[in-house]
Amino acid sequence: MVFDSVEALPDSSIVMLVFDYYPSTIAECEPMARTALHHFWRKDCRVITLSNIPLGGPSMAENVTREIAPEYDKQYGIDYVNLGYKANYVAVLAGMGNSIESIFPTDNSGTPLSEIPLMDSVVNYEQVSFIFEVADNATADYWVSIVNAQYGVPIACGVTAVSAPKYYAFVASGQFVGLLGGMKGAAEYEQLVGKRGKAVVGMGAQSLVHLLIISLVLIGNIGYFVTGKARKGMSR
Amino acid sequence: MTGIEIFQTWLIAFFTLALFSFLYKDNPVYKIAEHIFAGLSAGYYVGLIWDTVIIQQLWTPMTVDGRWWLIVPGVMGFLMFTRFWKKITWVSRIPLAFVMGVTAGIFLISQLHGLVLPQMRDTMLPLWNTQGYGQLFLTIIIVVGVISTLIYFYFSKEHTGALGVTAKVGIWFIMISFGAHFGYTVMGRVSLLIGRVQFLIEDWIGSFT
Repeated sequence: MVFDSVEALPDSSIVMLVFDYYPSTIAECEPMARTALHHFWRKDCRVITLSNIPLGGPSMAENVTREIAPEYDKQYGIDYVNLGYKANYVAVLAGMGNSIESIFPTDNSGTPLSEIPLMDSVVNYEQVSFIFEVADNATADYWVSIVNAQYGVPIACGVTAVSAPKYYAFVASGQFVGLLGGMKGAAEYEQLVGKRGKAVVGMGAQSLVHLLIISLVLIGNIGYFVTGKARKGMSR
Repeated sequence: MTGIEIFQTWLIAFFTLALFSFLYKDNPVYKIAEHIFAGLSAGYYVGLIWDTVIIQQLWTPMTVDGRWWLIVPGVMGFLMFTRFWKKITWVSRIPLAFVMGVTAGIFLISQLHGLVLPQMRDTMLPLWNTQGYGQLFLTIIIVVGVISTLIYFYFSKEHTGALGVTAKVGIWFIMISFGAHFGYTVMGRVSLLIGRVQFLIEDWIGSFT
């Protein structure tokens, strides 16, 4: 659903890619962000990145965009911009509905937004066609309750596996147009976009560990029933 | 790889292995890594807030753009620190009351409008829709699941008879939900380990060559 939503965007749309994850969950979240960036730039979208995570968010956005940009011949300031981090995400998300520049007067490296060509045509959410939130925490709730509910911007979300079950309800209600859950979701998205990365590679080990766990659960249950019969026999 | 990149890779590898050393037992190397992480995080966070909030959104707009009215929220913010002095602790309640009022106002609307109502609306779906028997089956599961789970948490009456049976159905739904959460949690934790091992094998050991 995430893939289809991005595919349906008109070329050169303005999109937001939000790095709301800490470095501790890079293994799950970064493949999602990287693949989304490939997908956006393949469609020639202009990308605004930002983060509500103080520790690492802005620098991970910087690293990922600057690493992938040369592949698509994208230039900073024209094709993408990194707004960085600002404290108090509730106020940030609500405030950007009025004016992005009032919340982020400068980009991550201190350049005033008025000097960045991409931001000339962007005032608030009205100019943003799509938001892809990559999160390992509850900030996704606020993108739904503030940005989607109040401003109607379509949002897709990539979350860690731990929080994925909670967010399926938002997909069912149409508040998220799509959801990527953990490394599995990231691997599926990589396959669809045709950029096989660390998530696809990691799924081999992931599947093996799951088979091991299932085997151990089965062995444990068989052992329980067998020893249970023995215990019953002894009690007689 | 440049010299600085190799240094970074080795530093990350050292801290990864230092934290993994806890699997053997609590040890000084683990403690050092833990304390450095806590200290660096606190320092980085203070610096970041100072630059992105105090300088960018208070000092520069006041001194450069002449928006002197920002002195009001600025002073309110600094009043929070009066909590450190017993005699004037009460002053901190003024900005705190403001923060609580604004937060409650924003949250009330956003939570109700953005979470509670849409989720309720999506729970109360028409049974007879045009999307076939599959959708009808899923809608019935949602209705039964929501009602039986809510009844499980209804403690004003003893769970006997029809109420008891419905509550037991609710327990099944809760257990299935816990199972899904557990499965995803295992996947999440294994993914984190895979990520670290990928780094150690590809980046760190890769840097040897």
